[in-house]
Amino acid sequence: MTTDLSSDFVVIGSGICGSLVARELAMRGASVLILEAGPRLDRGRLVAAFRNSPRRSDWMSPYPAVAWAPHPIYQPEDNGYLVQAGPYPYPAEYIRAVGGTTWHWAAQAWRLVPNDMRIRSLYDVGVDWPMTYEELDPWYQRAEEIIGVAGAENTGSPRQKPFPMTPVAEPWSMRRFRERLAPEYAVVDNTVARNSRPYDGRPACCGNNSCQPICPINAQYTGGVAADAAEAAGAKLLPNTVVYHIEHDATGHIAAVHYFDPDKTSHRVTGKQFILAANGIESPKLLLLSASDKYPAGLANSSGMVGRNLMDHPSTSLTFYAEEELWLGRGPQSPSSINTLRDGAFRREHAPYRLDFTNINQVFAVTQSLIAEGVYGAEFEKQLRWRAARQCNVKNVLEVLPNPDNRIALSAQKDAMGIPKPEAHYSIGDYTRKGAEDSKPHFARIAELMGGTGLRYSAEGNFANNQHITGTLGMGSDPANSVADSYGRTHDHENLFICGTGLMPTSATMNSTLTAIALALRTADHLLPANASKSAEHAA
Amino acid sequence: MHEFVDAMDAATSGCSRRDLLRGVALGWISSFLPAAFAATAAEDTGGFNALSALLTGRKIDDPTRSRRLFDALVADKASFMSDVAALLDMIRTRNIPVAQLQTALDSEKSPFAALPRAVVSAWYLGIVGSGKTARCLDFEMAMNAQVVGDVLKPPTYCYGGYGSWAVKPI
Repeated sequence: MTTDLSSDFVVIGSGICGSLVARELAMRGASVLILEAGPRLDRGRLVAAFRNSPRRSDWMSPYPAVAWAPHPIYQPEDNGYLVQAGPYPYPAEYIRAVGGTTWHWAAQAWRLVPNDMRIRSLYDVGVDWPMTYEELDPWYQRAEEIIGVAGAENTGSPRQKPFPMTPVAEPWSMRRFRERLAPEYAVVDNTVARNSRPYDGRPACCGNNSCQPICPINAQYTGGVAADAAEAAGAKLLPNTVVYHIEHDATGHIAAVHYFDPDKTSHRVTGKQFILAANGIESPKLLLLSASDKYPAGLANSSGMVGRNLMDHPSTSLTFYAEEELWLGRGPQSPSSINTLRDGAFRREHAPYRLDFTNINQVFAVTQSLIAEGVYGAEFEKQLRWRAARQCNVKNVLEVLPNPDNRIALSAQKDAMGIPKPEAHYSIGDYTRKGAEDSKPHFARIAELMGGTGLRYSAEGNFANNQHITGTLGMGSDPANSVADSYGRTHDHENLFICGTGLMPTSATMNSTLTAIALALRTADHLLPANASKSAEHAA
Repeated sequence: MHEFVDAMDAATSGCSRRDLLRGVALGWISSFLPAAFAATAAEDTGGFNALSALLTGRKIDDPTRSRRLFDALVADKASFMSDVAALLDMIRTRNIPVAQLQTALDSEKSPFAALPRAVVSAWYLGIVGSGKTARCLDFEMAMNAQVVGDVLKPPTYCYGGYGSWAVKPI
């Protein structure tokens, strides 16, 4: 064992939240060390890996797991890393690498709506957040300015200042949805961390339509950009450092973390403040792994809530052929939504949801279908063009309520480094299922307005996962039933902070990344308040 | 036979009637030959080109691409060439319309039932094999990218200048 590293701030995880916290702290002159379990990635190699992959709808295909820091892989076969305890499968996908999972996100950078944070008070379901939307608003704004967010004002989330960028140009396909669904449904531009003009040294989108799994031109913000920015600001980033234990002293203060390098040599890193930002599965895993005589249930777990209240956004969907040629695949993948069902008194009865339209190129999926159907000869090409021009999809993005039984626990199985694997216990509750039922007539009406034929609903009772890992480290004002306060400080350890989507006490209906970034920036400012020069630091 | 071969000729440029007949003949012959001789016979992609043209409805006019796909399919199944010949022979003898081919193979539980899909996957998706052995041989030049090339770019390729996707595609 070596003891060779020390830093004022030790950040575990170099994803978008960990890296942006590190960047903030480093810019304010602090010594910051980021420990990242996975390797560095290279954009060019990722693009090549995707083009050469036989699994073009598997967004993980360019991101194989490394032996020392595995992440869940399901195709061509399950690597068994995320153990499934049931009763419903939770096949979460995430990337352990420098920059983390947002290498392959769709860059949807939504704010919540204010009522999302008060659903217990308003609708008698879930829990209230230990803060208000108004408190988070300036941090949302700052997050949007750092990562470069393009959006429209009509999506239901209030704001005090304009978006940094105007919405990304609407693809023809989405325009036709908007026009044909009006006035019954308002189809609005998605709020995205995608450039509608050159921004912060990165170019405007040029419609590569591979936002997932990789934007070839860096027109959407990723954790990779954030990690680069953190290093440029002076943070030290060590890839391939697999933190496996958090050490506390007799008073409960965190004293050090221990990591393995890929050869399984152990290293100890001391610090003054520790920030756990390893995602909603790896972070609770690490806290549970760090159990000691003083904390037999794991660190930060006096409430018993570490790993619990696992949430995501399940989806059901309808695929159909539009009456007219839309040709999905021109422009970015995720351009438009219907946002009017995100909130309302109905939340007492069933889950709210966003309705999301894909603009993902349909050629690969259509080709696979034709092959499966045994279509041959000239008919193949004819059908391929007809279907690729018309096939489209609408899905719901449903809220899941916090349920302590849905949780990440430690498995008895171990990975190649001898570290227990995470184990997912998950179910889809009635609240969410009722929300899915509620959306069905909307699916049907949308298809009708589009002159749809060949309607194919997702299989009954089958929910697709959106990889928005939420909860598991929920924040709250009561230490008896929450893991951290609204600044991410764990109730049990005053120098251990949490950043990431795990902090969110409810999942709401929107992709969770922007909210997690806003919370992380607020945490950074709490740790080390900005000085007067802060406003000059970022120039769009 | 005539109807079948005429249809083949209409769909094929690099693949001639001679290739087709030779493909059928070589497959039949190779089924009686020791492995070493069969390997020599496998050098010939004539039958593969003929079956490919029939199944894809497209001209098979790129010998290099054809060879790469052929070699990959042979690597997955040693009997690929003779299977191709036998399937062609079956189609010819019974004059099976291509639209009914898969149904016929499936209903008869034919040993060649998986063959058309493997061939079409190679050409249209650029993918040979399945599961853990699947590999990508073509992406930009796969037929599915080519037949929509007037409207769409393969994913990862820039569609055009910013906002060029806002206008009606065709």
